[in-house]
Amino acid sequence: MANIRVVSEGGETIDEIAWTAQELDIHERPNGPAVAAIISAAIGVFVLGLLTTLSEANTDVHDFLDIKNRVGPLSGKTTFSVIVYLVAWSALVPVLWRRTVPFASAMLVAATLVALGLVGTFPKFFELFAD
Amino acid sequence: MILELTNRETWAALHGIILGGVFLLAFAGGLAGLWSLRPEWVTVQGLQERMNRLRLGVFSMAAVAWLTVITGTWIVYPWYRAKPPEGTEDLTDFPRSLLLSNPDTDQWHKFGMEWKEHVAWVAPILATAVAFIVLYYGKQLIVDKNLRYASIVLWILAFSAAAVAGLLGALITKSAPIQ
Repeated sequence: MANIRVVSEGGETIDEIAWTAQELDIHERPNGPAVAAIISAAIGVFVLGLLTTLSEANTDVHDFLDIKNRVGPLSGKTTFSVIVYLVAWSALVPVLWRRTVPFASAMLVAATLVALGLVGTFPKFFELFAD
Repeated sequence: MILELTNRETWAALHGIILGGVFLLAFAGGLAGLWSLRPEWVTVQGLQERMNRLRLGVFSMAAVAWLTVITGTWIVYPWYRAKPPEGTEDLTDFPRSLLLSNPDTDQWHKFGMEWKEHVAWVAPILATAVAFIVLYYGKQLIVDKNLRYASIVLWILAFSAAAVAGLLGALITKSAPIQ
């Protein structure tokens, strides 16, 4: 059964159902695995943006990323981004699996990486570096 | 009337309409599922059924997102960017060259396709993170607001990336279809 807590706010009475982990039969897990998944995804997005911009800025990078001629450099950008994403995830998981880390700080890092990655994939930005 | 699709049109439809469409349409279901994991909105009895549905939904959508970008990049995109043989005047079968040949349409490639082909890959990466969180933490998301809100934000970002790619893809296809 759930607890029903009665809270008074400014003279009003509010019925609030407050479920605890035990009542829901939840074995609470540390947030480390979630942080590992989110940070590694953010790293993947960041690398995608970075490679997109570098490919525009440098012909050597552009040619290096052209691993499948029919697809062009997009083949390398996406392949290497996914590889880095998966490697980052597999590296972070054993480190964070049983840990609880400061969630707000981790999300700030993730948000920064995702924002930079999105900027890096935006044509008006990466065209500024066109070689 | 006989409806006939070429091999290329079939793959383009699978990529853009079926897979991409499923992801975009199912987004609302995933968002509603995550948003409604609130103590005051679920009963213990209804929880198991809801969690099973949410787990299946987010896992399927992450898988669909991967299939969408893989088919788009590795199967459909090469047809889009194929270079016409020297002296070709009819560029109908070469969408990229067709768009670039006209100053009124070249931005569809220079801005539209250049953004679409990259930003689309953000969707499966972020959707996978959400799928992992839902599968691993399950009903803990009901009591862990931080994880639930982070999942919702990532889900919305994944959808936004897919929506940009899907919208641009539809508009580019309208100007220069793969056939």
